Amino acid sequence: MMQGDPMLNAVNIEKCFPYEDAEVAVLKGVTVHLDEGDYVAIVGRSGSGKTTLLNVLSTLVRPDNGHLTYEGADLSAAAEKELNEIRRADFSVIFQFHHLLPYLSVLENTLLPFMGTLRPVSGQLQQRALDCLERVGLADKARRLPGSLSGGEQQRVAIARALVKSSRILFADEPTGSLDRTTGEQIMELLAELHGEGLTIVMVTHEPAYAKLARRTIEIEDGRIIH
Amino acid sequence: MNIVTIPLRNMRRKPAKTLLLLTVFLLGVISIVALYQVSLVVGHSLEKKLTAFGANIVVKPATEKLSVSYGGFHMGDMLLDVKDLRETETTSAIRSIELNDRISVVAPKLVNMFKVDEVAVAVVGVRWEEEIGIKSYWATDGTIPERSDQILLGVLAARKLGLETGDFLTLKNQQFEISGILYETGSDDDSVILMDLSKLQELVAQPGAVSFVEVAALCAGCPIEDIVTQIQTNLPKTSVIALQNVVNQRMSSVRFVQKLALSISLVILITASAMVGLSMLSAVNERKKDIGILRSLGYGKKRVFLIFCLEAAIIGGLAGTLGYLAGYGISLKALEYLGLTDVARPLFSLTQLAFCGLVFPLITVLSALYPAWKGSSIEPSQALVSL
Repeated sequence: MMQGDPMLNAVNIEKCFPYEDAEVAVLKGVTVHLDEGDYVAIVGRSGSGKTTLLNVLSTLVRPDNGHLTYEGADLSAAAEKELNEIRRADFSVIFQFHHLLPYLSVLENTLLPFMGTLRPVSGQLQQRALDCLERVGLADKARRLPGSLSGGEQQRVAIARALVKSSRILFADEPTGSLDRTTGEQIMELLAELHGEGLTIVMVTHEPAYAKLARRTIEIEDGRIIH
Repeated sequence: MNIVTIPLRNMRRKPAKTLLLLTVFLLGVISIVALYQVSLVVGHSLEKKLTAFGANIVVKPATEKLSVSYGGFHMGDMLLDVKDLRETETTSAIRSIELNDRISVVAPKLVNMFKVDEVAVAVVGVRWEEEIGIKSYWATDGTIPERSDQILLGVLAARKLGLETGDFLTLKNQQFEISGILYETGSDDDSVILMDLSKLQELVAQPGAVSFVEVAALCAGCPIEDIVTQIQTNLPKTSVIALQNVVNQRMSSVRFVQKLALSISLVILITASAMVGLSMLSAVNERKKDIGILRSLGYGKKRVFLIFCLEAAIIGGLAGTLGYLAGYGISLKALEYLGLTDVARPLFSLTQLAFCGLVFPLITVLSALYPAWKGSSIEPSQALVSL
């Protein structure tokens, strides 16, 4: 990677999904650059392709055409193992709904990225997870199950999980979509705070007020960036 | 807190479903263990009962046969260097083989020819207790001799000598009372006079001598050849012969019981495994969202596969361990009910417990392979549709 190159670079991304007997083009040659410490809001109407773009950038969906590079490495043709490792270590994704496993406690959900092997999670990591929960105001609910938390609290657990991982990029898909205004604003404040500390954030939102909090906005319409 | 925590917590989330699945497989394991234990004891008991219908091994002196012919005239076969066996040495050598627990009866015999009123008749010396052990089918007019001056006559011998129960017979100037006459057996016993072995040895001045020894061995769980080889090793100068037809007849009955139990066990096992597989398959569809979250956190296909397999293994491990203990308990009760506990008791073995604790998880994992593979094959993009 050359100095000054974007951290995440998506060039001419195309993605189609099958619909009935036809293929529907959702992304039609989208190019996005993301620098370290960036805060990008992706906006657009429903069905414009913003969530698909977020999923492509976060490696959850492979593009049909185009190139996606992260730190200079081409991810478009990367092996599954490589993508898993990037998702495990560097990227975090928070969804509008269902971001936690309902049968694991808040603490276990926070430590989920580290529970993938037979080796027990260290006490040090557990302490770090508790510190991160403290940071999002949920340390006292560490042993509770997600079902007993409000939507905003669940969203904060997902953010705490990203903090424990020391993720480099946080992808958020409508993080306030299922929350009331006050809770939504709290989440946005938390994201702004984390961005202030150097976290790179890519957020999909349809709330213009929240989009304004980002450093820059990408507007997408019918699978193309228009602004 | 590690990857095992995920299936464990998931099982705790749906206790009724987990309990149902565990119960189905547990019932399968219990049935298999109980059937196995009961069939072993029933087989053992059956074999013990069959042992009463004759010996299956004969130990006799090694002989060298010589065919004699002269001038084109065949003069018959001659047995060279025939030496009687020593009773104590022979019986104790048989009893001391490694598989001695399989030896049920050792019945030594001495055979001698006598003339009674100019009629040639064979007299066989036996140990009554041992003889009755292998010939429980004997029925007599009268009783089995209780004293050394009493004898038992085969029905044909009695007819030939014109004797009846209660009559007296003189052999080598000693008088013997006929305590009973055997009903027809269809065997060589019909044509002989049977008496106490020590008395015959004394009568013919051959103390401690026996002509051959009949052995009844329990063959379930070990081949008769092994027993024969071990006896032969202990008694190198003898000829040890397995009566294969007797062995095969007995073993076929025992094996039938065991095969029946095995067949039923297999049906139960396949049904329980199918239940586990189907349940896991429906769990894959229910947990698409979970798979999506895990994949977004960097869990690869192998790890998702492992989570499903671990869940199946936990069910199998619990069912295997608890099923063995419960199956053992139930087999005890079943044998008590069948009145077989006096014959043999089911064997509680830690090795078997460990075997069940290892093999049944393996079976449940095998049943869950397809669902686990299906779950792990879900791409994050597919799973994300449900998020």
